[in-house]
Amino acid sequence: MNFTLPSFIIPDALLLLFPFIVIGSRLFCSYRSQIPWRIANIGFIAIFVLLNFIPLANNVGKFFICNWKIDDFGVLMREVLMLSAMLGMWLSKDYFEHGADGKPQMHQIAEFTGAIAFATFGGFTIVSACDMLTFFLGLEIATIPMYALTAWNKKDQLGSEAATKYIMMGSVATAFELFGFSYLYGFSGSIYFNDIRMAVEAGATHPLLWLSILFLFCGIGFKLTLFPFYTWAPDVYEGAPTPVTAVLSVTSKAAAIAFLVVLVFGPLAPVQEQIAPFIALLAGVTLFVGNLGALKQTRLRRFMAYSSIAQAGYIMIALLGPVEMARTAIIYYLFIYAVSNYLAFFIFGIIGHHREETFDSLRGLSQQNPALAIALAISMFSLAGIPPLAGFFGKFHLFFAGATTGHYALVAFAVLNNVIALYYYLQLIKSAWIDEPEDHLSPLRLTKRQRSIIVALSAAVVLLGVLPFLSNNIFGGFTF
Amino acid sequence: MDTLLFNVIWAIPLLAVAISVPIPSTRIKAIKLLHIISGTVVMGIIGYLTYRVYTMGAEPADPKAFPLLLRFFTDIPWLSSINAHYTVGADGLNILLLFLTAAIVWTGMLVSWNIKGNQKIFFALIQILATSVYGVFMSIDLVLFFAFYEMEAICMYLMIAGYGSGKKDYGGKKLTLTLAFGSSMILATLFGIYFQSGLDTWNIAALSRITLPMNFQMWAFPLMFMGFAVSSSLFPFHFWSPDGHSAAPTAVSMLAAGVMMKMGAYGCLRVAMFLMPEAAKFWLPYVVALLIFNVVLGPFIAIRHKDLKYITAYSSISHLGLIFLGLAALTPVGLRGASLQMISHGFLTGLFFATIGMIYERTHTRDITQMGGIMRKLPFLGVGFVIAGFAGLGLPGFSGFIAESNIFIGAFQQDSTITRFVTILAILSITTTAVYILQTANRMLHGNMPAKYETLTDADLREKIVVVFLVLCLLIIGVCPGWIADMLDTSIAPIFDRIAAATATVVGG
Repeated sequence: MNFTLPSFIIPDALLLLFPFIVIGSRLFCSYRSQIPWRIANIGFIAIFVLLNFIPLANNVGKFFICNWKIDDFGVLMREVLMLSAMLGMWLSKDYFEHGADGKPQMHQIAEFTGAIAFATFGGFTIVSACDMLTFFLGLEIATIPMYALTAWNKKDQLGSEAATKYIMMGSVATAFELFGFSYLYGFSGSIYFNDIRMAVEAGATHPLLWLSILFLFCGIGFKLTLFPFYTWAPDVYEGAPTPVTAVLSVTSKAAAIAFLVVLVFGPLAPVQEQIAPFIALLAGVTLFVGNLGALKQTRLRRFMAYSSIAQAGYIMIALLGPVEMARTAIIYYLFIYAVSNYLAFFIFGIIGHHREETFDSLRGLSQQNPALAIALAISMFSLAGIPPLAGFFGKFHLFFAGATTGHYALVAFAVLNNVIALYYYLQLIKSAWIDEPEDHLSPLRLTKRQRSIIVALSAAVVLLGVLPFLSNNIFGGFTF
Repeated sequence: MDTLLFNVIWAIPLLAVAISVPIPSTRIKAIKLLHIISGTVVMGIIGYLTYRVYTMGAEPADPKAFPLLLRFFTDIPWLSSINAHYTVGADGLNILLLFLTAAIVWTGMLVSWNIKGNQKIFFALIQILATSVYGVFMSIDLVLFFAFYEMEAICMYLMIAGYGSGKKDYGGKKLTLTLAFGSSMILATLFGIYFQSGLDTWNIAALSRITLPMNFQMWAFPLMFMGFAVSSSLFPFHFWSPDGHSAAPTAVSMLAAGVMMKMGAYGCLRVAMFLMPEAAKFWLPYVVALLIFNVVLGPFIAIRHKDLKYITAYSSISHLGLIFLGLAALTPVGLRGASLQMISHGFLTGLFFATIGMIYERTHTRDITQMGGIMRKLPFLGVGFVIAGFAGLGLPGFSGFIAESNIFIGAFQQDSTITRFVTILAILSITTTAVYILQTANRMLHGNMPAKYETLTDADLREKIVVVFLVLCLLIIGVCPGWIADMLDTSIAPIFDRIAAATATVVGG
């Protein structure tokens, strides 16, 4: 046990404290006041910066009767989650000033940012957990604010429907997980990951263990939108407000994949090779189904839902690799996925403020605002995995991790699937670049914040993969 | 100094794009000039480096790149997580292909001076495409190679769909997706090569020093070869090429047929055959059988087409088939012929598409039955087209003759009945080529001229420069091919040595 790193816990503590401050500040200022928003900004940025100060040198700090640990994977995951939270918050700001896509203006920005912070803290908890109780708590903290966020527009029927669907599905998933955990506990007699790991090592063929693994995968399958539990995603992504969709597709997915990483390389590490075929099957089917589903979509957010289902399948491939390589590849990919995805959502947000969020509204974009059309192309090509954009290098690392343990067939299948993916991303780019607008185009107004973020994200997508800065930082932290 | 110059080749186009971004679109002339000047600079640099490679012939090459005779070798760690390096270098083959690329990019930019649409973006896309092709011909590291190789997809689709004509979205998608299909096969095999070799390196030279396991080669080679063959429009993956070319704007057709299709052939030679020579020995005779379509049936299809770009696309398919015939011959002469044909056909098809584009700009149709007698109004362009046609059917004096005769000799040396049979068919198919070239020239340039063409004007100075430049390149290779053949011979030698050694292994084992 190592207690020499108490300062490492400061960001976690801050993040826990800080939604209370943001929401509490509402007591002292007027309804239209910008103060909670400013506090939220300062807080998120401060936490992100603090996280970046933690050196990556195989940290293994453990706190609070040994159920809260901070390691390199945790620190990097925290950075991904904070990045997603910050971008999500900035994306949402405009929706509090005017409505979008026929939906009314949103209210209560303080509570909104507070909810995002709570969801992020849930992600922090998942990556810090050393026992099943904390682990489960983290997953719930990460999920429950999402239900509220999905239904943030109280008067929006679609939003309420989506939230209901999400809660129903989410509760079933939670039940599955709890059930799985209970069997795991029954099998090993302990809630601590280390003890479970030893028990798994000793009795790898016990049917209870495999039953619990099955249930755990079912549960997390819902959250990560794996086949066959992905069906809620398009409806929820479509119904939720756009910024919430973005947060859902990044934070929620990152938290879920972190859950799997902690599980597969933690307590279940001794049987990783036995569950590998299962993971490979899930990954292959999920990315295939996601790609097929996206082919015929005409609404932007439904499209992004299927695209993110496919991305979940791609991420799963890395889980097959050796532990360090899998972790680093997943984090690297999540960084890149977050940046590319938010870039797309920022653009959709701008379109959505003035028009419906469909492919048709993109028409004529290249004539009306070439810079925006270029940014859209950059983000789509990055999601499709075309070099030299970051998405290619992200996927390359995922495939690399998968191929290290010899899963060539799956990697080849995933690589071929990229062609299908490229088709539908091209479909979207075609709308923006080639199709003539049908009638008069409503003007697009970009605020200064939107413009600077879009430029920054585009630059990040172009440079993150090519320059070895990010990958060397992430991979340098681990010893292979 | 030379090494530094070599390394900035791919950076200059990107730099030009970066500089052009802040210039407002209203000053489009300045932007276009900037791009053309940068193209000229790159061409100058590569021309100088070609001369250097030629004069350096006797000096020993960089030992780290053994067995390849690479000049300007640079090796910098890049992505340490996957052991990818920034490794570039060039031997005679690379540098000549680089020069071809620079020439086609330069002429392509001149040709698209008046292209309709957002010119600022179009020129930026051409420059990015140029970067990608330079990168492919420079890189020795497989990750770098693949990244550059796949980068073309971005620019190709946007340029065809945004600036093309006819079924541009269909053509663009067909081209991009088929090429992406090819590169996904390549990527899958690259992973296999990396992990099977166990060397933790993507360096082609290093990988070529070992022999990959035979059972791996047997399935990896066809996959990778086909992956590269897709972009060279080898049957049965040729279907993207006619639609893609006909939809593309002139400069993109020139680049696609002139340079990108060579990337596939280059990849087959430098990666697939070089790294897996044993499997190449086994599989290439089957490829020869496939070539019957490309070489023999391609010209026949061209005869039946009325659209100039379709005709040229099928003519490219047949010429690319000849490249593969040279590769599949697996003899030094055949390989030399194939590499010569890569370069020669690049200039040739560039000239073809350039003149077609210029004629199309004036007549607004590419249907040869609609045209007639335009030789009277457009003598310069007409002559340019006929020269391209004659060079294409291998008239002595032009580069095509040298390349094709080498291929035929090389292929006939191969001691296999099917190869010889295909070679004979290929030689006979030159007659078919003559038929469609002469028929097209006759219908388009001679006969009765429709009245609407009375007002046509011949090429202006910009267009004349393009045509004269490309014709000169064809002539120089055709009249004095010796020095080029020398450069190619030295760079092909290590590849052939490996293939020759592979036979011994198979026979001995």
